[in-house]
Amino acid sequence: MTYDFAVVLGYWEALLQGLEVTVELTLLCAALGSALGFVTSLARVSPVRFLRWISTLYVEFFRGTPVLIQLFWFFFCLPIILGSDISNFIAATVTLTLYTGAITSETFRASLKSIRPEEIDACIALGLPRLTQITNIVLPQALLRAIPTLLSNFVSLFKESALVSAVGMADLMFVGQNISSNIAKPVEVLTVVAVIYFVVAFPLTRAVTVIERKMLAKLAI
Amino acid sequence: MNKSMSNLSSAKSFSATDSTNKSPTASTSGQALVKVSNLHKSYSPTIQVLKGLDLTMAAGERLVVIGPSGGGKSTLLRVMMGLEQIDSGSITFAGQPYITANDGKAKTKINLAVRQQIGMVFQHYTLFPHLTILQNLTLAPRKVRGESKASAEARGMALLTRFGLAAKAGAYPNQLSGGQKQRVAIARALMLDPKLMLFDEVTSALDPELVAEVEQVIMSLAEQGMPMMIVTHDMWFAKNIASRVVFCAGGVVVEEGPPDQIFNAPKHERTREFLDRVFHI
Ligand SMILES: Nc1ncnc2c1ncn2[C@@H]1O[C@H](COP(=O)(O)OP(=O)(O)OP(=O)(O)O)[C@@H](O)[C@H]1O
Ligand SMILES: [Mg+2]
Repeated sequence: MTYDFAVVLGYWEALLQGLEVTVELTLLCAALGSALGFVTSLARVSPVRFLRWISTLYVEFFRGTPVLIQLFWFFFCLPIILGSDISNFIAATVTLTLYTGAITSETFRASLKSIRPEEIDACIALGLPRLTQITNIVLPQALLRAIPTLLSNFVSLFKESALVSAVGMADLMFVGQNISSNIAKPVEVLTVVAVIYFVVAFPLTRAVTVIERKMLAKLAI
Repeated sequence: MNKSMSNLSSAKSFSATDSTNKSPTASTSGQALVKVSNLHKSYSPTIQVLKGLDLTMAAGERLVVIGPSGGGKSTLLRVMMGLEQIDSGSITFAGQPYITANDGKAKTKINLAVRQQIGMVFQHYTLFPHLTILQNLTLAPRKVRGESKASAEARGMALLTRFGLAAKAGAYPNQLSGGQKQRVAIARALMLDPKLMLFDEVTSALDPELVAEVEQVIMSLAEQGMPMMIVTHDMWFAKNIASRVVFCAGGVVVEEGPPDQIFNAPKHERTREFLDRVFHI
């Protein structure tokens, strides 16, 4: 048996379009999801019990169920409950945003916790108002510290986003599957698709290590 | 260092406080700058730390607090800084009670306007790592007093220059040695023009060769007449800078007096034991 990888090259435009959909969906859900995650992390340490309760439930639920089930639920079940259709784009965006919100809220929570109590003592000793302590000391450091882990959260999102092919969104995975069944060359096509995912994800994974080292050095005391 | 100390006792700026230096206790001279009365503080029902501590400090004094580990020295300074709740007692600054026990929801009442006149430097590094040295200095004056950026930066640079740190203004704390960090921490506190400085073992996290540069800065502040309360395990430094020494153990003041008396002729057995242990390492 011989493999003909050259034939895959003929579909480069379709694959590129698929990758574009994947990247756009990832960027959109990374932005919306980390905003949601940040708010959620604040809610989880809020003095208001109800906020803590609801945010914890949300995070635990979305971390504790498969993304595929979440996606199917928003695409197949929610329309039945609402009595109106939901496009696969909306279902995918909502699912991946909620998923990213749940995982990044843990990232933000850890980075908020990493502020040393001695610095808060110093804030009080300097007479800094509570609001200034939060806006000038706690938040900037928490955000900086969160960057490396956020990036790896985004890499996970990029890979998990392949699931949206299951509801018919024309992402890289979906396009790859289509081509592979049309020309009956699964080995060649799916291998190339895997390599494309890897080529995008790998530099990001490496960047995480580098940025993490830089960030730790900068915020070390 | 010894040279700077001889300067210290003859410094002009001390003429106003010379009487304090000679008198054995603060209560015999002038108005008290700080008066701690019957202070009780516990961290939990089983951890009673301060057990009715009384202490008076006159204006212009340099009080050195010594004593065994766990005796409540840090706790006393933290309470004075409004960082801890108290069970009972009160603290007065320049005649105004500013920390008082309160039987309500908030256990401790703190008068912030009064407390703001006190500055503190801690044992641990507390510079804000994401801000430059100059930003560390100017943050509080700008946010607390509403000082303009230009004015705060000018004062900050002047202070850094005085401490030999002008070249570090744009650096981040992680680019500084431990001794430089603690000097910046002192400068940061001075930016708010404190009327009293508290130092809690500010050199004990430092490598031995960096201790002197920080102690020298504190000495120079002393020469300018800054009232200060210093907790230290460095007995050489204690002897040299103190106008009065307080031996604190078990949550109370056991003995106090001029450095000569405490170090050479302590009256209490407990003080003697402590000093024997410290000097026979
Ligand atoms: N946040 C806290 N919670 C519980 N116990 C505490 C806390 N802070 C201090 N303590 C306890 O209070 C006691 C007095 O501590 P403190 O730090 O005031 O002593 P110290 O005289 O400064 O000792 P050292 O010379 O070791 O610095 C110690 O037994 C300590 O374990
Ligand atoms: Mg201590």
